[in-house]
Amino acid sequence: MRKSAFLLALLLGASAADAQLPFLRKRDNQPQQPVLQGIDALRADFAAQAGGTTVYYGAESVILGAPARAALTLQANWLRKHPEVVVRIEGYGDGLDTRDHALAVGARRAEEARSYLLLLGVPAAQVSTSSWGKERPGLGRAVTVLVR
Amino acid sequence: MKRLILPALLLGLAGAAQAQQPASTVIAVPPLTSPDSGDKGNRMLAVGWDVTQAIEADLRQTAEVMPLKPNRDDYYSYPEVTAPTFSKWRSKGAKALVTGFVQSRADGRLTVGCYVYDVDKGRELSRKGFIIGANDWRRAAHKCSGLAYTALTGAPGIFDTRVAYVAESGIGEGRIRRIAVMDSDGGNQRFVTAGEAMVLTPRLAPKGSQVAYVSFTGGKPNVRVFDLDSKQERPLIPGDAISFAPRYSPDGSRIAFSMMLGSNSDIYVVPASGGAPMRLTTSPGVDTDPSFSPDGTKIVFESDRGGSQQLYVMNADGTGQRRISFGGGWYAAPVWSPDGGLIAFTRRGQDGRRIGIIKPDGSDEKVLTTGPGDEGPTWAASSREVLFQRTGAGGRNGLYRVALDGSEPRQLTTPQDGSDPDWSGVMD
Repeated sequence: MRKSAFLLALLLGASAADAQLPFLRKRDNQPQQPVLQGIDALRADFAAQAGGTTVYYGAESVILGAPARAALTLQANWLRKHPEVVVRIEGYGDGLDTRDHALAVGARRAEEARSYLLLLGVPAAQVSTSSWGKERPGLGRAVTVLVR
Repeated sequence: MKRLILPALLLGLAGAAQAQQPASTVIAVPPLTSPDSGDKGNRMLAVGWDVTQAIEADLRQTAEVMPLKPNRDDYYSYPEVTAPTFSKWRSKGAKALVTGFVQSRADGRLTVGCYVYDVDKGRELSRKGFIIGANDWRRAAHKCSGLAYTALTGAPGIFDTRVAYVAESGIGEGRIRRIAVMDSDGGNQRFVTAGEAMVLTPRLAPKGSQVAYVSFTGGKPNVRVFDLDSKQERPLIPGDAISFAPRYSPDGSRIAFSMMLGSNSDIYVVPASGGAPMRLTTSPGVDTDPSFSPDGTKIVFESDRGGSQQLYVMNADGTGQRRISFGGGWYAAPVWSPDGGLIAFTRRGQDGRRIGIIKPDGSDEKVLTTGPGDEGPTWAASSREVLFQRTGAGGRNGLYRVALDGSEPRQLTTPQDGSDPDWSGVMD
């Protein structure tokens, strides 16, 4: 009886998506993370604290939407706390575009994201930009990469 | 009377076999002969036969000239080179004749003589002699093919030219890309880069001695210049701004390219030997893919300043910018033809990317290919064909050439998958 009440409490506490796997979830909560050091640890921390390293753009668009601005706000908070870390924002173009225009669009997307970070108080020297155009998988986005 | 009709019939048949090409000129290509005798003579005849076959292969690629199949047993005497029996070639339906000889020299090299005749009129159209290394017979064949092509069409021959492209191996994330330069018949391929960094858009200097390209060495796209003779390489401009889309001026003295300043891509021009870049465009938005007119006074480029990518023409100093494309859809990657008469481009629409041509004043636009994955046009030296990149359904890239009548594109044989072609002018 006590056991089933405990289970019920767990089920109620969990969100709908993982309600069916309470024990798996519980086991996941145990600390099993490999110990990361240096840049890898910083990258993991950045990705966790900022809720990801990627912001997305609409097709043909270089305008930051509300979700992108929210993501960049979290990135900016982290970057201001880690002024020693240097990042590069890598922009991606659209797959249907021509090669050089896609490069320019990727660079613009990266630059838009950088400008927003600077607006939020991140020092300019901390953020550079690059573009992959349509030359790599994963189009229509800008990814913040920790360089050092 | 019957004898006159027969060649015309043959011509018609040849035309039909070439899929709706208008009457191509039939040219006889008998085996090259030699004034040498004995063993030496036999060796020279063997080289001559190689040259003959290469000439036939060159001319067969063209829409305008149709070679008769050479017959090795059809022995051609040395005196016949300068005094052909025109009636013999008339009876075979030929309107033209290309022939010549191979002669050994005391220094071990070879003299190749090449002669082009109008068979109907029974007169010489052109002749040229070349001294070549013993193993360089392919080059002599390309020169000879070019002589015949130019004599018959008035356009520069496209055979003694180079193609630079991005050779690709693997697919997806693991794809390795190297800048390669090869002869336009697919032979003599050399790699300019080793494949460590991603590379894009090689552009040959007019004589094919240098290649400018985009490299991601250092994490962001930058234009670099490689000298094919000295094997020296350097960045086009100092600093780490994003730069791309290089293109040489027709005299090789300048390079136009795109550079990002903040979120703004503009067009700049810089001496090919280095120096301070001069800014040519200032509009917000993306200005890129500049290409010079053959006289060097104008530049065509693409810009999305009006909301969508369109083609613009300006003076080479940046003045007088005006839009020339109004056909709907998006226009990109313009390239001016070597004769100045046309601009090739990539057009994006609902049905994908296609290659088209337009006059520099914006009139007579025509789409040449069906797409949907075509881009990156570059002109043949003859201004009568366009080479471009086609991405297949499986994501593999190949190089294709299409004639201006929009007939079915033909794949250019490359040792690897290929993208971003650039076709040089005729080499000296």
